[in-house]
Amino acid sequence: MTGLHRARRFISAALTPVFVLGLAACTGLPNTIFGAHSEVGHAEDRLTYLLLILGGIVFVLIEGALIYAVVRFRARPNASTPSQTHGNTKLEVTWTLIPAVILAIIAVPSIRTIFETEATAATGALQVEVIGHQWWWEFRYPQYKIVTANELYLPVGRTANFSLRTDDVIHSFWIPQLAGKRDVVHKDRPNWLWFTPDSIGVWNGFCAEYCGTSHSNMRFRVFTVSPDQFKAWVAHQQTGPAFAVAAPAPAPADTGKKTGATPPAPVAAVALTSADTNTATVPHADLPKWTVPETPLPAGLSFDQNAIAKADPARGAQIFKTAACIGCHTIQGVSMGIIGPNLTHVGSRTTIGAALYPNDMKHLTMWIKDARLMKPGSIMPPMAKGLPESMGMFDDQQIADLAAYLSSLK
Amino acid sequence: MATTVAAPSLAGPKHKYEGGLWSWLSTTDHKKIGQLYLYTAISWFVIGGIEAAIMRTQLYGPNGRLVSADTYNQLFTMHGTTMIFMAIMPLSAAFFNLLIPLQIGARDVAFPRLNAFSYWLFLAGSLFMNVSWFWHAAPDSGWFAYAPLNTPQFNPGINMDFWVIGLQILGLSSLAAGFNFITTIINMRAPGMHFMRMPVFTWSAFVTQFLIVLAFPIITVAVTFLLFDRFFHTTFYELSAGADPLLWQHLFWLFGHPEVYILILPAFGLVSEVLPTFSRKPLFGYPVMVYSLILIATLGFGVWAHHMFAVGMGPVADSIFSVTTMLIAIPTGVKIFNWLGTMWGGNISFRTATLFAVGLVCLFTIGGISGVMHSSPPSDLMQTDSYFIVAHFHYVMFGGSMMGLFAGVYYYFPKITGRMLNETLGKWHFWLTFIGMNLTFFPMHFAGLNGMPRRIWSYDANQGWDLDNHISTIGAYIIVIATAIFLYNFIRSRGHGAIGGNNPWDAPTIEWSMPSPPPAYNFAKIPNVTSRYPMWPATGPSPLSPPVPTAGTDQPLPTHPTADQLGIPMPTATIKPLIATIGLTLAFVGLIWHRQIPIVLLGAAIFIASLYAWVLTPLEPEHTEH
Repeated sequence: MTGLHRARRFISAALTPVFVLGLAACTGLPNTIFGAHSEVGHAEDRLTYLLLILGGIVFVLIEGALIYAVVRFRARPNASTPSQTHGNTKLEVTWTLIPAVILAIIAVPSIRTIFETEATAATGALQVEVIGHQWWWEFRYPQYKIVTANELYLPVGRTANFSLRTDDVIHSFWIPQLAGKRDVVHKDRPNWLWFTPDSIGVWNGFCAEYCGTSHSNMRFRVFTVSPDQFKAWVAHQQTGPAFAVAAPAPAPADTGKKTGATPPAPVAAVALTSADTNTATVPHADLPKWTVPETPLPAGLSFDQNAIAKADPARGAQIFKTAACIGCHTIQGVSMGIIGPNLTHVGSRTTIGAALYPNDMKHLTMWIKDARLMKPGSIMPPMAKGLPESMGMFDDQQIADLAAYLSSLK
Repeated sequence: MATTVAAPSLAGPKHKYEGGLWSWLSTTDHKKIGQLYLYTAISWFVIGGIEAAIMRTQLYGPNGRLVSADTYNQLFTMHGTTMIFMAIMPLSAAFFNLLIPLQIGARDVAFPRLNAFSYWLFLAGSLFMNVSWFWHAAPDSGWFAYAPLNTPQFNPGINMDFWVIGLQILGLSSLAAGFNFITTIINMRAPGMHFMRMPVFTWSAFVTQFLIVLAFPIITVAVTFLLFDRFFHTTFYELSAGADPLLWQHLFWLFGHPEVYILILPAFGLVSEVLPTFSRKPLFGYPVMVYSLILIATLGFGVWAHHMFAVGMGPVADSIFSVTTMLIAIPTGVKIFNWLGTMWGGNISFRTATLFAVGLVCLFTIGGISGVMHSSPPSDLMQTDSYFIVAHFHYVMFGGSMMGLFAGVYYYFPKITGRMLNETLGKWHFWLTFIGMNLTFFPMHFAGLNGMPRRIWSYDANQGWDLDNHISTIGAYIIVIATAIFLYNFIRSRGHGAIGGNNPWDAPTIEWSMPSPPPAYNFAKIPNVTSRYPMWPATGPSPLSPPVPTAGTDQPLPTHPTADQLGIPMPTATIKPLIATIGLTLAFVGLIWHRQIPIVLLGAAIFIASLYAWVLTPLEPEHTEH
């Protein structure tokens, strides 16, 4: 966060009178574009500072002249007719040239930065395929054959090269604390963006292009982790689902990767502690509060708490295999649906519904019960018995079992 | 038929100006049409403002649930569409109608009935789009309605059908008016009214009309493609048929950026009228002001892709559009400096009109500076589609266009109605608007820089956006109060304001030489213009006398000889432009309402029949009856 503080000092020193109001709001700014945590973000920030400073100077000069004119030349009693000036060529030339010079000062570094940041990504970059869906994000790591959703893991110090595609309408991939946004436009012609994260942390990501009903609910998280943690995460993601019923644990899908990390054994449904340096995922308890969603539950949705207490993941696994779930979701070795997010390690994620709700039994059960009420426009149909267009006909106990199964897929 | 119904309205002064509903429905008088534009546009401004107030209430705090996501998406789509196409553009059109013939010394516009047709089309298009609310099916793809979200595949309801057709009707209205005003300004200037003597408002109107006739065909094509996609299953924007979603963006912004200047240049023109009058000095650098208008308009066609820096056009295109965008800041800056030069050394009287004009200079500057910030693509990638952009364009549209248009309303109200707006209420209106506007939109800069994306129905807690949004919402409520004061003042002063006289501000241009409100024929004798400021002596105007009493009065307005008494031939009043509009709209209603072909055909028949009847109606009644 030092970058953030530096940026804040920088601006407040230059533009204190203008920005007082805004700085009053600067008590906690988890998504500020200032003090970005990548080289691309830095380059963009440098231009923004330059623009703010030059703009601030122009602002002060013009508004100062305006205030002076308004005060100095206001009508006074017994004033005579003012001098009838029609113009002044020298002045006109001057105030044409000065803006031209200021703009040249902006244009040169702007164009240099365009070519720097739009150059080809460094060799050896981590390739990440981003696929925008209404209204969630699919992330694929082709080098590691990993498919996940709504949570992105990036190692610090290694360039991440994003290939951005959409499955439907235009979206925009934006992590304000890491770099500027890039629109996700085409199905078959990927857009590109790269940057190299330089600090460990958890960052919020947003869809920044209006994309329909739940545009505001198309968020994601980015975890920038140490290279070792990243290796561990990759190894963990490459394992099969953590919960297997009446079958041997599936082998890792792909062993061709050369990360060198020992794949951890499928972990049980217990939270990893922050003391464990080799954690595959960021412990939920360590999440900063701005990454823990506080979206209120929709009115008119209730759930039997006893069912949650009695939930059995083994029963849930059986239900999953035989229900409509498999039509849309992949769980490695269990189902192959591709319409919804890959759920192989869904239990390891911190949120559900594209960062809309915390990933816990309370929210997961409600989500399965009626996703469309939980998230406007969601194409996932309700699964509870008695709801219109329900695909599941489940009672609360069956839903709780399903949720327990999914939660166990760490 | 029309001649028989129109005849009574020409019979005497009472019918001519105090006539009932019929005289409004059949009018071809540019001043009455201008008033219709004015009242209708203010009504839409109020409705667009209500939409904004609902959105601001929803966004007051995190996880707001006042309206549903779908309703919110309809609200912001309609707020943008309404304010741009139904409030600001028609408010400008109101002034084009009211002022162009008066400022150039003409009796009316070149095509009075086409002018009426433009107004009725505007009314029909705006009503058409807004009746969608009754089905909770208002357009919901945003005012720039990006493909493929606007296509039947992703928007199968009738929401965007309303938008497509409504926008086509509104576009027809603007195009018809554009050609009309260009013809008027080129051909109907009074003797001596050289181009370089024209009032700057008429210049800004002239340049704006060229922008309209060049830019609107582009959106017409883009929307026609969409209309065909939506109604006849063509595949201009259909992804599965290989369409490129960027086609729409390029077409839209090739229209959309000139559209920004269509919205702002008339306000610039009004301010260029107000500031000299109240500074008691000629406009500083008149020729430069004219050239900069033309430059802005020309360059305005070469900057569209700066709306698309995030779509991945590549470094060369990004650089080119970055530089053209920076270039356009130069003539815009020159205008601001020349307004300062106009006030400099003047003897400025701060009437409400002056306050709004100075408000434009003050606030548009902020929007201009943030605009330059977007011209640098790497920096823009952090700003675009965030609330920073929302702040930027509201400083341009509200701080610029609306401030200038309000200045025009206060300045020209006495010319239009013969009565003054109340100055005390006017100053309340200004200060509350100014404070409310800054409270609403300035914090949005911070929300945007702090990562808040635009067009979001709801946001999570702990994102660092709460305070900015609290302040914005409170500011929006202050604007609501300000607008209520304005409405009261406007309605009340129309009938009861103090009598203004011909020239209450001792203003310099020829529209102030005639009675207020002007008689139907405008100038009893077409003036011979000998200077830019014919109403001022060559030595300059005397200081402006203290304000006229603002107390209301029920005193009737003075009357003037009628056109008949003076033997001036006037355009026939006729209902046919309205009938033609109804026919055209009916055809579209048939299209959208379960594709009822008989209704489409009936509407088309009415449209064509009334066009024929219109063409066959003589322009002036004398030729047939007298």
